[in-house]
Order: sequence, then structure tokens, then C-alpha cells
Amino acid sequence: MFGYVRPPLGQLPEEEQARFRAVYCGLCRTLGKRYGLAARFILNYDFTFLAILLSDGQEREAPCVRCPAHPLKKRACCPPDGAMELAADESVILAYWQLRDGVADHDWLHGLKYRSVSKVLEPAYRKAAAARPAFDESTRRQLRQLSELETEDCASMDRAADAFAALLAGAAKEVDDPVRQRVLEQLLYHLGRWIYLVDAADDLKKDARSGNYNPVALRYGLKDGAWTPESRHDFAQTLDHSIHMMATAFELWDFGCWRTILESTFYTGLFYVGGAVLDGTFQTAVRNRKKRKNVEDAT
Amino acid sequence: MNDPYQVLGVPETATDAEVKKAYLNLARKYHPDNYHDNPLADLAQEKMKEINAAYEEINKRRSGRGSAGGAGGSAYGYGYGGGSSYQGGTSYRQGYGGYQQGYGRSSSSSVLQQVRMAINSGDLSRAEALLANYTDHNAEWNFLRGAVCYRRGWMDEAKRYYQTACQMEPGNAEYRQALDYMESGASGAYRPSGSPFGTEVCAANSMCLPLWCCVLPLCC
Repeated sequence: MFGYVRPPLGQLPEEEQARFRAVYCGLCRTLGKRYGLAARFILNYDFTFLAILLSDGQEREAPCVRCPAHPLKKRACCPPDGAMELAADESVILAYWQLRDGVADHDWLHGLKYRSVSKVLEPAYRKAAAARPAFDESTRRQLRQLSELETEDCASMDRAADAFAALLAGAAKEVDDPVRQRVLEQLLYHLGRWIYLVDAADDLKKDARSGNYNPVALRYGLKDGAWTPESRHDFAQTLDHSIHMMATAFELWDFGCWRTILESTFYTGLFYVGGAVLDGTFQTAVRNRKKRKNVEDAT
Repeated sequence: MNDPYQVLGVPETATDAEVKKAYLNLARKYHPDNYHDNPLADLAQEKMKEINAAYEEINKRRSGRGSAGGAGGSAYGYGYGGGSSYQGGTSYRQGYGGYQQGYGRSSSSSVLQQVRMAINSGDLSRAEALLANYTDHNAEWNFLRGAVCYRRGWMDEAKRYYQTACQMEPGNAEYRQALDYMESGASGAYRPSGSPFGTEVCAANSMCLPLWCCVLPLCC
């Protein structure tokens, strides 16, 4: 989970932006309530998306509350419900295993930060794993498989992406309605595939420098992390096929009040993020935004 | 049956033209071409039936009450398996003939025929097992491997198997269509605005939203 899944908030009406903010704050609050302050730091856009997808789509009143991140101004915040708790539990499990993955990927010194953060998150993880043992088990299995594929330099990007995609699809297993479960599994599978591939594309240059495993570089035989026009085009197409699968799955279930946000993400937001990653402008845009936000917060 | 107006997402006061427009948009969305080889195609088929029934019901009611000809004839023969094919669209793929036919073409061997049946029934594990035990990796074998990959979501491998199938048997229309579709990158897929579908199209188009729309911070 890397924060690539974003609705085009700037293009949406104020009402939709507020709704997205409320679920973001709601997930943060649920994490805090269930797992303590440390767990709040794992919050990101992708987990927020998971909370939206798992939600029943019923519009709920979002009372304004104060939180540690914004002590001065009260914010609208979706109240915790079953779906939000499920999203929080699954987020903690995913975040924890990703940190452990970071520990395994680095030597003792460079793994230090992963080790210390995962230590902090460990009590939360234990609780979440006890609440969702099946999801914990499948996450662990898929990530083990992923790290095996990485060790053996697997040149099939589909196979590598499958390990992560299947992991995310596992988040739908706790859903009861069989149709909804099929729709969500398909949607999350391709969302996972897209996230994994976009992340690999985003890391092309960095991995070329460090010599780390990169499935996209191996698949297209890219040198120095630079695209050729053909490989870039081919890669964009494979992303589009996954987005098409997400969009077609999305249309088969009623997501209620989340319809506009989800629709704009699947039919617009993902294209734009993918395009920016291919152009190499995504990281800069995110960094600049953060910088500007810090300046605004300070003043 | 659900309220037909609710199914089409229009108020009862909608004009005939509005009803027809809503119907056409939904029919484009759930059209078999948009769910080609999709593991959820059966659900789309159900949707399509519901929409067709709703549109016919509204037409019936409106022609009954004597408005000028209803919203415009019966449902467009959109549908899954058989029936007339969609004629009015822009870039829909023809051929393959809907889901009922699917991979039903005759095969060069009885094993590959069984693979086609397994794919049609959604039993991908069986199709894979049969393919794994089949030693003659001919064009059809590669095509069917591609079809299994596509349904599993392994889009890159699917394309590569289709390419091999086409290289081995360049004249085969079935393999060619499958490859053409992969190479089009779903560019003819449904998009609500009607504009083309695709990462490169959208990213290259300055009329699309600027990146800041996507990286807008939440806490400002």
C-alpha cells in the first residue's frame, strides 16, 4: 500500500470532498480507538479506499470531533461501524507485514527503522491478527510468496503482481453477501495488481541505481530505469486492462453514497496517477504538495 | 420487478428522449462487449436483462397512455448470446458472438475442446490442468493458455500467449481478435463521459484534470 489510489478530489464537488475527508478522519479515529495512537500513523489514502469499498454505502451523520493531529479545529468524522473496524483491522495487518517485509529486505543497519516501527506496531498487530486470523494467515502467505519471487528474480510481472493482488483480494473474504464478495474480490485483485505495477514503475530509477529487484525492468529489459516508447506503451495498456476490470466490477454493485468518488477514481484518477508515474512527475507533485502544506501549517 | 424508472435512474417525469438516453448509456455500460471474457460477465448479463425489461416496461406504459409512440420502440436487441448485434456504437469489437458461444468453436482435439468447455463454465483450474498435460503446444494451445491468463487477470502473459498463437497461425481470425483486443488496451471500454479510456490518452490530454487534483491534501 503506497498511497497511489487517489480520487481526483480537486475535480469533485465540495460535498464529495467533505465525504472523503470524513471517512479518512473516521478511519484514523477508529485506528486510534482500537489500537492506540501509534496505529494512527499507518493511515494513508489506500487504506481509506479499502474502508470505502468495505462500507455498506449508507450515508451516516459525521459528527465533528477534535483529534491529536488537528487539536485546534474540529473535523467531521465518520463514526466507526463494522466495515470501518474491518478496514482498520485489515490495515493494521497489512501495514505490519509490510514493515516486516522491509526488515527482511534490508541488512541490520538499514532495516533499523523498519524494525523499530514494526516493534511499536506489534501490540496492535497481535490484536488485529487475533480478530481476523484468516486474513492474517493469507497476508503472511502471499507476502512470503512475493519475497520468494523477488529473491529468484522472477521476470514475469504478472506472477509477481499476482502475489500482491491476491493478498488484497483476500480483504474481501470477510464480506458476507456472495455477489458483493465476488465483485470486491475482482475489484481488489486488479487494484492490487495496479498498485504493485505502478509502484514498480515508480521505483524504476531508484532500483536501477541500487540494483534491487524490479519486475517491470526485468520484464521489458530496461536499462538505467528508462522507458523505451514501445515498453511504455505496452505497460500503459496492461495497466488499462486492470483499470477496465476494476471499472466493470465496480458497476456491478451499489456502493451507495460512495458512487461518485469511486467512479471518478476508476475512470479518471487512476489514469492520471498512472500517467504521472510513467512521466516521472508523480513523486515531485506529491512532495511539492507536502512542502506547501507544511508551509501553510506553519504560517 | 423493481420500479423500471429506478432501474434506469430517471424520474417518472422524464421525457421519452431522456429515458432513451439513460437506457442507451446503461446498455453501453453492461453490453457484452464491455464484459468480454470477464469473470463477472454473468452478473452483467443479469443487469442487462433488468435494464431491457425496464425499458420495455416503460415503453409499454407510455404507449398505453397514448403518448407519442413511447420512448422509441422496444429494447435494442442488446443482449448476451444471439440476438442482433449492436450496430450504433463507435468502436465495439464485433465477433466472438457473445457469451453463450464463448470458446465454443470446434477444436483440433477433444482435450482442447474440454479446455474450452472448462473456460466457459468458469473452471479455470481444470482448464489449466488439462493444458498442462497437453504436450502439443500448437497455436490453439497458446490461444487457450492466453484465455485462461486473461480471466485470471494475468494480462501481460495473456497478450504474449495470444501473440504466439497469432505467429503460429497468422490466418486465424479468433486468435487475431483476441490479440487485437489486448493491443487496443481496452481503449473502446465504457467510460461515463464517453471520452476514450486509457492512461496514455488521459495523461497526454491537457483537457484532462491536472495532477494537483489527485494530490490535493486532505488536511488543508
